[in-house]
Amino acid sequence: MLFHTWPFLVFFLVVWVVYFGLRKTPFWLHWLLVASYVFYGWWNPLYLILIVYSTLLDYFVVIFMERSSRKLVWLVISMANNLFLLGFFKYAQFITDNANLILSQFGVVYSLPAPDVLLPVGISFYTFQSMSYTIDFYRGQIERERSLVRFAAFVSLFPQLVAGPIERASALLPQLKKFPQITTGDVADGLSLFVVGLFKKVALADYLSRVVDPVYANPAQHDAATLLLATFAFAWQIYFDFSGYTDMARGVARAMGIRLMLNFNHPYLATSLGDFWSRWHISLSTWFRDYVYVPLGGNRRGTFLMYRNLFLTMVISGLWHGAAWTFIIWGAIHAIATMVTRRAERSEFYGRSVPIFVKRVLVFTVVCFAWIFFRAESLQDALLIVSRIATTGWSTPDFPIFALVLVGVIWCYQFLYESRLRGLLEIPSVQMALAVGMLLYLLIVPGGGGGEFIYFQF
Amino acid sequence: MRLSLRQWTVVAVIVLLFVLVVPIAWTGIESWNTTDDYRIPYGLSEDYWQYQRFVGATANGSRKKILAIGDSVIWGEYVTPDETLSQHLNQLAGRERFANGGANGTHPLALEGLVRYYARDVRDASVLLHCNLLWMSSPERDLSSTKELSFNHPRLVPQLYPRIPCYRATINERLGIVVDRGSTFRSWVHHLRIAYFDSQSIPDWTLEHPLENPLGQVTLKLPGPKNLPHSEPVAWTARPMKPQDIPWVPLDKSLQWQAFQRTVRLLYSRGNRLYVVINPFNEHMLAPASEKRYRLLKGDAESWLQAEDVPYDAPPVLPSAEYADASHPLSAGYARLARRLLEQESFQDWLVEE
Repeated sequence: MLFHTWPFLVFFLVVWVVYFGLRKTPFWLHWLLVASYVFYGWWNPLYLILIVYSTLLDYFVVIFMERSSRKLVWLVISMANNLFLLGFFKYAQFITDNANLILSQFGVVYSLPAPDVLLPVGISFYTFQSMSYTIDFYRGQIERERSLVRFAAFVSLFPQLVAGPIERASALLPQLKKFPQITTGDVADGLSLFVVGLFKKVALADYLSRVVDPVYANPAQHDAATLLLATFAFAWQIYFDFSGYTDMARGVARAMGIRLMLNFNHPYLATSLGDFWSRWHISLSTWFRDYVYVPLGGNRRGTFLMYRNLFLTMVISGLWHGAAWTFIIWGAIHAIATMVTRRAERSEFYGRSVPIFVKRVLVFTVVCFAWIFFRAESLQDALLIVSRIATTGWSTPDFPIFALVLVGVIWCYQFLYESRLRGLLEIPSVQMALAVGMLLYLLIVPGGGGGEFIYFQF
Repeated sequence: MRLSLRQWTVVAVIVLLFVLVVPIAWTGIESWNTTDDYRIPYGLSEDYWQYQRFVGATANGSRKKILAIGDSVIWGEYVTPDETLSQHLNQLAGRERFANGGANGTHPLALEGLVRYYARDVRDASVLLHCNLLWMSSPERDLSSTKELSFNHPRLVPQLYPRIPCYRATINERLGIVVDRGSTFRSWVHHLRIAYFDSQSIPDWTLEHPLENPLGQVTLKLPGPKNLPHSEPVAWTARPMKPQDIPWVPLDKSLQWQAFQRTVRLLYSRGNRLYVVINPFNEHMLAPASEKRYRLLKGDAESWLQAEDVPYDAPPVLPSAEYADASHPLSAGYARLARRLLEQESFQDWLVEE
């Protein structure tokens, strides 16, 4: 069930009314859990088996961890289980294909059978969310959640179940201890977030995908200008798509009195790659920081090991996004670029003399270069796109001016937002005019139907 | 962007005002030529907002006319605008009494939706309703086939109930259509797309016209109907064809017939005066067994109309050369039909009462 569809609207209205109606009873949490399972099962009821299994296992693992002196064993069981689920559904095909490639290089005529399994929606997100609970408990950072219903609601909370934000137990579980205070401010903020998210997704991301998809489906047919513009368009598409989803998720949760973390903070205004990752998919980047980078040693063991840890973390992050070499290379590019900008920031010249605008352009360019690998349908296509951008001629691309105007307006908004003129955007009449404009645009301009969100495939 | 609940209320009021006022104001600023032989231009066949505007003005305007409603048989697929049934009736009657409210491709399930949602203004008016039994000729035409099919005017057919087995739209698509049908504003938005953007959404249109300004497309002038037949007016006999063994769906099992019945009742419930014309189908192309089934079907249709006390005529088959295909007459065929109708006592009585 996508947020920007009629069935979701009907679903949410029913869920919210009953949720609010049950607020003085203990059953509001049970209703939230049931609603979350209905939401998740809408894609495929069989997915529920996995999420229930994963939930039960981690719930009981922590119980045994609490009672056992060998906590590490139970932690390993939890992590192995979650990573196995992820590995099987997400990486089995990739591993098999590469293993068969290696075997064929050695002249082995036999090949491993490729499992044909459907990737359950949201598995990358809820396994990570559940794992963070067991790890944080192991570290002594949180107490065991005694209520199975509450824990299950934490794992499966429908606004953030399928594409994040990946919430920490310490942030979300306390909010589920008692029925939240829902104020008119919460409803208004929820509505604001939802409308902005809806606009980003329907008006912007879905439109840009119509520009990007035909170019990336057939890169050999396009020259440098078109490939470049499509790459820039993809940079905006994925931002609007994912941040739009997150805004809607946060809006829906907020209307229920639940606060989800900020996941995007104007990432294309970053002045370094480190800054970029503090603004892009914040819940994932902080997850990897806390559960991969820091345990590897972080920056506490010298420069070489810091770079090694950074590299490994980013490559694993790339792999998290998808089972393909293109995602690994995407992660590696970000790792190298992060190291380079980190060193550059320490220099007198770069740190103080290079204007912020130039840094932003540099970072945006590097990020777009990396997006080529993220979006391309294969490694061969990615390399072809890079080579064609570098070598083919330039002709006037058939890029809609309308799209340029839209993206230009958004970019101006973001610049204004982080400038001294931000106050202009906060004038109530300006905000109301923007809201009216967005709603009328949504009512008049886009075509029907709701495209799926990009991050659902992860 | 962060608005308070009060500010959201103001936003909602502004948007609501826009939604209510703009379609009404639009009718005052957008021009369209209505000649006496006007019919909805072919390119606007799915522009239900425009259809609503036309039939509302015709049935209830200062020059109130009898609205002929039906599919492309009424619209006149193989004839010019002044050679349609309604125009031949006008010519024979000596005055502009009839208007062409035909809409291309509107099988009975779609026609029901068109009348229900976009002909609400047709009240206390006189309506000549055509019944084309072609739509009951097979399970596919009847939309009672269980195989998924694409068909005309999916936005007009019942979305939730009764169930149409071959219609496989998603719940989201169906709910979206239900919402659109209840909103004059959304119908107006579709009108803009169909009339000015080649029936595409604006983003899709900009992809095909990347360097053009979409605002420049909205000229506020609707295209008029072309003074040409939409299909070449050639008799069906010019195309060699074996006799067709058309299966025909019995009326008691036919979804299209049930829709037709609901349309009749709906028109009556709005205080309209109704006269039904059944086909005439091109029986020359039917194999003997199929012709026999057709005659039974037609008889059942007539029996129902008699039982419901609906005045009607079921003209006999036209001469073979006056058909363009299975159900569309050529100009001479329409002329013959018009003459026959005006000679019918039931039709004359109905006209007198009007």
